[in-house]
Amino acid sequence: MTYKQLTEEHLDALREISNVGMGHAATALSQMVGETIYLHVPQVTLTDIANVPDLIGGAEQVVVGITLQVRGDAQGNIVLVFPLECAERLVSQLLGREQSGEVFDEIGISTIKEVGNILASSYLGAMGSLLNLSLLPSIPLLANDMAGAVIDFLLIELSEEGDQALMIETEFHGNSPDDKLIRGHFFLMPDPASLEVITNAVGGLNDSA
Amino acid sequence: MTARERVGISEFKIASAPVELVTYGLGSCLGITVFDPEIGLGGLAHTLLPKPRAGMDDSRKSKFVDSSIRLMVAELVENGASMKRLQAKLFGGANMFEALQEWSGESIGQRNISCARETLEEMGIEVLAEDVGGNFGRTLIFSLESGKVTVKSVREGQKETEY
Repeated sequence: MTYKQLTEEHLDALREISNVGMGHAATALSQMVGETIYLHVPQVTLTDIANVPDLIGGAEQVVVGITLQVRGDAQGNIVLVFPLECAERLVSQLLGREQSGEVFDEIGISTIKEVGNILASSYLGAMGSLLNLSLLPSIPLLANDMAGAVIDFLLIELSEEGDQALMIETEFHGNSPDDKLIRGHFFLMPDPASLEVITNAVGGLNDSA
Repeated sequence: MTARERVGISEFKIASAPVELVTYGLGSCLGITVFDPEIGLGGLAHTLLPKPRAGMDDSRKSKFVDSSIRLMVAELVENGASMKRLQAKLFGGANMFEALQEWSGESIGQRNISCARETLEEMGIEVLAEDVGGNFGRTLIFSLESGKVTVKSVREGQKETEY
């Protein structure tokens, strides 16, 4: 199966299961930071790989990116992108320390990675139990750099198969005033080779409904 | 103000002075500039992979290091550049996440760099400068006026270096 064979129904189903997955992830994040986390409606975008940096906010935008591989019955990648100041806020809030600009010491890095790990695990856990698939996140990797540079290894991976990327994106944010706002983007990028597994699982879902 | 033209991922462009060619946020991708100083004509490529493997869809030539260089040089020569005067520079090919390298042996960034060196050597084009590898992203601004390439990085604080 290739990305081009995906139907409108497939994309709708991906949007829906992602919504469920992200709901669980948001609950987990809410519990961690102690404030309600709101979600936007997920966007499912099938696009040329060249457009991906713009979709995550522009290639030159400095971000904190956490990537995890999806393993198990289906493969793909998860990318979490926080604007730099939001990552700093998140770390200082979770560690209960002043925002110092020195986020990326050892404990800051492992805190951010842990946030990625918890979000990805709850997202994949919910998605997996809905679809009856075993989906597990790998160890999170972190880079604090230009968005284009943070994600281009993913585009390289995808470009081995074709020129397109399938991105399931959810934007989330907290409810603090602007200067303390936590927000970020969560992306699931399934491998083309795993599409069939996912669409079959979704099909089974429709049959039993 | 000098006109700036953006070169996207898996794309190359040629231009002449006084235009500036720009590409943003190179990580493992490789940026390649080729320049004819005598007539102020040059090109910039933003490539993802070394060469198509057997069976790989190679319809988009500009995503590969090897075919990008060849096509770009052909276009430059068509527009009046001389093979003898062409000079190349290489940027990017970083390994953004240390752990990725352990999984896959030689990093994709390294493979892109080696491929570019080989292709350029085969074509007899000198590599004048390189700023490659490392674990940080790079933005390139290629001035066709001077032939200089400004590399911007943010990892260790804002930095600009000219090559």
